[in-house]
Amino acid sequence: MADGWTGRRLRVDLSKNTVKVEEIEKPYREKWLGGRGFNSELLYREVGPDVEPLGPENKLIFGVGPLTGTFAPSSGRTTVTAKSPLGGGFGDSNMGGHWGPELKFAGYDQLVVEGKSNKPVYLWIDDEHVEVRDAGHLWGRTVPEADLIIKEELGSKEIHIALIGPAGENLVRYACILNDVYRAAARAGIGAVMGSKNLKAVAVRGTRPVTISRPDEFYQVCADIRERLKRDLMVQMLYDQGTWLLTMPANYEQGWFCWHNFQKGFHPDASKLSGENHRDNFLSHREGCFACPISCGRFSKIKEGKYAGEITGGPEYETLTAVGPRIGLLDMDKVVHNSKLVNELGLDSCSCGGAIAWAMECWEKGLLTREDTDGLILDWGDQTLIDRLIRMIAFREGFGNILAEGSSRAAGLMNRGEDFSISIKGHDMSQDDPRGLGFAFGIGFATGRRGGDHLQGLPCLELTGGFYPGLVEKIMGTREAENRLSPVKKPEMEKYSEDIKAIGDSLTQCSFTHNWSFAVQPEDMARLLSAATGMDISADALLRTGGRIVHLERAYWNRLLVGCLEDRCPKRFTREPMPDGPNKGVVFPEADLIPRYYDVRGWDRKTGFPLPEVLMEYGLEDIARDLEPCREKYLRKVQMENQIEVQTAEKL
Amino acid sequence: MACSLYHEGECSPVLSRIRIVKYEALGRNFPSACSQCSKPRCLEACDHGAIRMNESTGAVFVEESFCTGCRSCLVACPFMGFHPVKKVAFKCDLCGGDPQCVRFCPSGAITFRSVDEFLMERRREMADKVILAAQE
Ligand code: SF4
Ligand code: SF4
Repeated sequence: MADGWTGRRLRVDLSKNTVKVEEIEKPYREKWLGGRGFNSELLYREVGPDVEPLGPENKLIFGVGPLTGTFAPSSGRTTVTAKSPLGGGFGDSNMGGHWGPELKFAGYDQLVVEGKSNKPVYLWIDDEHVEVRDAGHLWGRTVPEADLIIKEELGSKEIHIALIGPAGENLVRYACILNDVYRAAARAGIGAVMGSKNLKAVAVRGTRPVTISRPDEFYQVCADIRERLKRDLMVQMLYDQGTWLLTMPANYEQGWFCWHNFQKGFHPDASKLSGENHRDNFLSHREGCFACPISCGRFSKIKEGKYAGEITGGPEYETLTAVGPRIGLLDMDKVVHNSKLVNELGLDSCSCGGAIAWAMECWEKGLLTREDTDGLILDWGDQTLIDRLIRMIAFREGFGNILAEGSSRAAGLMNRGEDFSISIKGHDMSQDDPRGLGFAFGIGFATGRRGGDHLQGLPCLELTGGFYPGLVEKIMGTREAENRLSPVKKPEMEKYSEDIKAIGDSLTQCSFTHNWSFAVQPEDMARLLSAATGMDISADALLRTGGRIVHLERAYWNRLLVGCLEDRCPKRFTREPMPDGPNKGVVFPEADLIPRYYDVRGWDRKTGFPLPEVLMEYGLEDIARDLEPCREKYLRKVQMENQIEVQTAEKL
Repeated sequence: MACSLYHEGECSPVLSRIRIVKYEALGRNFPSACSQCSKPRCLEACDHGAIRMNESTGAVFVEESFCTGCRSCLVACPFMGFHPVKKVAFKCDLCGGDPQCVRFCPSGAITFRSVDEFLMERRREMADKVILAAQE
C-alpha cells in the first residue's frame, strides 16, 4: 500500500472473462504520476499502430491519480483513454463527478478493460469483489434509465456508475461516457470504444480510505489553497454563472462566438444565452464535482414553453454553444433541451453539433439536397429538425447514420463539403475560434493530442491572465502576452500551459484551479503531491513530468505517421478573415506560430516529430528508438507532399 | 474530505462525520450530520459512558477509550458513524469549536452559530414575511 496512490491496477479481459490486479510500482508512479499519465503510457505500450479502434484489441483505460479522492481541491476527476474511433489516433477524455474517487476508494488507480464480450455486460466493482454481469436488459436504455436500473438491481444507491447511452451501443464515432448521469467524458469517441466491447456500464462502490503520507502538512496545504480559491475572482464568477459566464465576453468583446459553424464570430442577440439569463431564469441549482470548492456545474430547469418541466445536468459553455449557436439557435430553452437529449443518448455535444453544422452549411451552400438527406430540409436553427436529427444520429437511422461518422468522415463519404468540417485530425473542434479566443489556443488546436479541442493546453493566461496583476509578465516575461491576438510568446505560453494541464489531469485536479483560475500554481501542485505521497518533488521537476506526458502522446501520433502536415487548423480559421464583430479581419497566423512552437518544444520543423535528444532528456529513450524508422518514412511523405504542392502551383 | 482528514489523517467518505445522500439523476443532495441534540439519543443509548457532552460547549463526542464497539448508538441515531478498522463509533464533535466543514464549505451552506442567534434569525425571517405581506 502506498500513500496517495493505491498502487494497484485492475485489469478485466472481457473476451477471456478474467480479472487481474497488478501492482503499479513506485518508480513508474513517480515517472507518470497517475490519471492521464498512466493511461497515455499504457496506451502507447499496449495499443499499437495497427489496432483497429473499434476492434477487440483496443483498450479502454480509466485512470485516477494520487490526489483523486483526497481533500485537495477539485480532485474528483478521471481520465478515460483509448485509441480514438473519431480521429484514428490518440484519444482521451476527462470527466468530473464522483466516479473516479469511488474507484480510488475501491482500491485502484487504474482500470483497464480489454477484449470484447460476446453479449452486453456491465462491470460491478465492490472493493475487492469484481463481477461481470449481464446487461441484456440495459441495452437500448438511456443513461438515466440505466443508472436507475443498475442501482436497483445492485440493491444500493450509494454506487457511482460510468455508462454509455444508445449512441455508444450503436458505435456512433463520437459517443461519450457519462458518470453520475450528467458528467461526461465526452470527446474522442471513447463511448464507442466502450460500446464496441459490449460494455454498458462500470458500477463502483469503494469503502477504503486514501492514506496520506504527511496528513497534517497536507491538511495545511489544502487549507491554504482553499482559502485562496475562495478569494479568487475567476472562482467566484464560475460559481455564480458557471461556464455560461463566457457567452457575453466571447461574443461582444472578443468575437469568437461560433455562429453558423464559425462563419461569424458575433451575433447581435447572443445575450439571450448570457450567464445572467441562465442564472436568473434557468438555474435549478449548482452541482459540484467531488471535493470542489468552485462548483461550476449547473442543473437547469425549463420553466416555460414546449419543454417546460424538463430538468437536466448542465449545460456548460461548450455544450450550449454546440447545440445552440453553432447550428443556429439562440433560444435558451431549446439549447437546454438539446443538451439534455445528447447527454441522455450518450453523444458528445461538440462533435454532434459539429456534424449537424457541417450538414447545415453544406445545405446552405447547395452541396446537399433532399435526395442526400432522406428528404430532410436542413435549415439553420430548425429545432424540430435538430431534435429529430440528434435521435437519428444516436440510433444511426437514415441520414443520421452518415452524421454518426463525424463531420470529417461524413464529408469523405459524401465526397463534398470538406472545408465545412471544422475539425482537426478528424476530431471536431469545440466551439472555440482562434481568430478571437487567442493565438496560444490556436496552437493547441492545430497540434493537440486528440485533434481540434481547447483542452490541449487551456492557455487561459491569454484570456483571464490579465485579471491577475503581474502574473503573465512573471511567467512569460512580458505583458504583451496578455493580449489574446498578439503572437508574442504564444508558443511558450501554450507549452507552459500544456505541461501544467498534463500534471493536473494526472494528479488529478480540475484545470479550472490552475489553467483558468491561477489560484493553484505548479509549486502548490508539487506541495500537494509531496505531502500526499511523501515523494518530495519540486515544481520544476513536476513541469518536466508534464512535458514527458505531452511528448509521449505526441509520439503516439508520430508512430502513426502523423506530424507537421496534419497539424493544421481548418481553412476557415487560417484563410477566412473574421467577417464581423470586434475582431473583423483577423486570421489565425498558423504558418508563423506552429514552427515557432516546434522550436520551443524541441520538435523538428521538417516533420513535427520531437528530436531524439529531447526525448532522451525526458527519459524517453525507448520512444526515441521507436520513432527513428517512422521519422524517415514521414520525411518521404513530407517531400512528396511538397512536390505535389509545387506541381499544382506551377499548373496554376 | 476536510472531516476525515482532520480527524483520521485519511481521506475517506466512510470516515467522514458528515455524509451526503445523493440523487444523481435529479442532481439533488441531502447533507446529513449530527444535530448536536441537547438530549442526545446516542448518549442515552450508550451504556459504557463512551458518549459524553462537553460541559461548556454542549458538544457531544465519543471517548474512544471507553467505546466497546457495541453499536447501540448506531441504532439510536442515523447520524452516527462506525470506524471499520478501529471498530469504535465516531461522530461529529464540532472540531473543538472550529468546525472544519464550516471553514471550507465554499457555498456557505453550513454555518455555525449559537442557538440564540439562529432563532433570532428565524424570527426575523418570519417577521419579514409577515411585514412584506402586510405591505402588499
Ligand atoms: S470546477 Fe467545475 S468541473 Fe472542475 S471540479 Fe469543480 S465542479 Fe467539477
Ligand atoms: S458503539 Fe461505543 S459509543 Fe456507541 S453505544 Fe456502543 S460503546 Fe457507546
